[in-house]
Amino acid sequence: MSKTASFIHERLTASGDTTELERIRQFVQDKAREFGFSEPGIHKIALAVDEACSNLIRHSYHLDHAREFFVDISPQDDDALVIEILDNGTSFDPLTVPAPDLKQYAAQHRKGGFGVHIIRMVMDAVEYFPAETSERGNSPQMNRLRLVKKLN
Amino acid sequence: MSKFSIEQKNNGSTEVFYLKGFLDAHTAPELESAIAGAIAAGQHRLVVNFNDLEYISSAGLGVFMVFIEEVRATGGDIKLTAMKQKVYTVFDLLGFPMLFDITEKEEEALAKFSA
Repeated sequence: MSKTASFIHERLTASGDTTELERIRQFVQDKAREFGFSEPGIHKIALAVDEACSNLIRHSYHLDHAREFFVDISPQDDDALVIEILDNGTSFDPLTVPAPDLKQYAAQHRKGGFGVHIIRMVMDAVEYFPAETSERGNSPQMNRLRLVKKLN
Repeated sequence: MSKFSIEQKNNGSTEVFYLKGFLDAHTAPELESAIAGAIAAGQHRLVVNFNDLEYISSAGLGVFMVFIEEVRATGGDIKLTAMKQKVYTVFDLLGFPMLFDITEKEEEALAKFSA
């Protein structure tokens, strides 16, 4: 199924506060639905973006609501959505996080470390560009996490 | 602002938690303190009913990871029940069905405790 998207590029500006997660999910869900994704696809996109932003807000921005980051969403070739999360925290490549060992985590009472694994499983492509290598025209360089989800 | 709530019901030896709404990194601490409170009060047989839960992220799943070993060490358990498909998908992605007892109906979870 090919569909001409009714939007080109949209940006949500969010702050380092977990109350923002609901608004972020709503934003990407609305765009994914508009683009033509069915409910399971919409859920996966919202989940992946939620996980990425939760990690950013808690571990990089340390719940500092004065700090901002961007969630950009744009269609790619009429058959995929690209979501980019841009932040100016310390660069951290989530792709270096190993897959969690559930039994070991339970023994250690660990509650984190699952988000990255979820992102990798539900998206078609995940790339990370640390600020120093991230080209964004005239805007200040930011870390960029790029998530791609195909329509079919 | 938070679209998440918990109701608790104690039926003798088991504490049942009814979750409603959206469980994410913002609302997970609320669940964590509710479960910690029940355990501190001596409850080790816990059932979590997800029937009215619309959404969960890994922050929500993490809460169960914190307590599971502790309650099992004292002969208890945290049994999870009545999940919508969307919520179950997230547990399944991470392999939680291997570690947790997940039932379709609350009665099954309760019956397993009394068995």
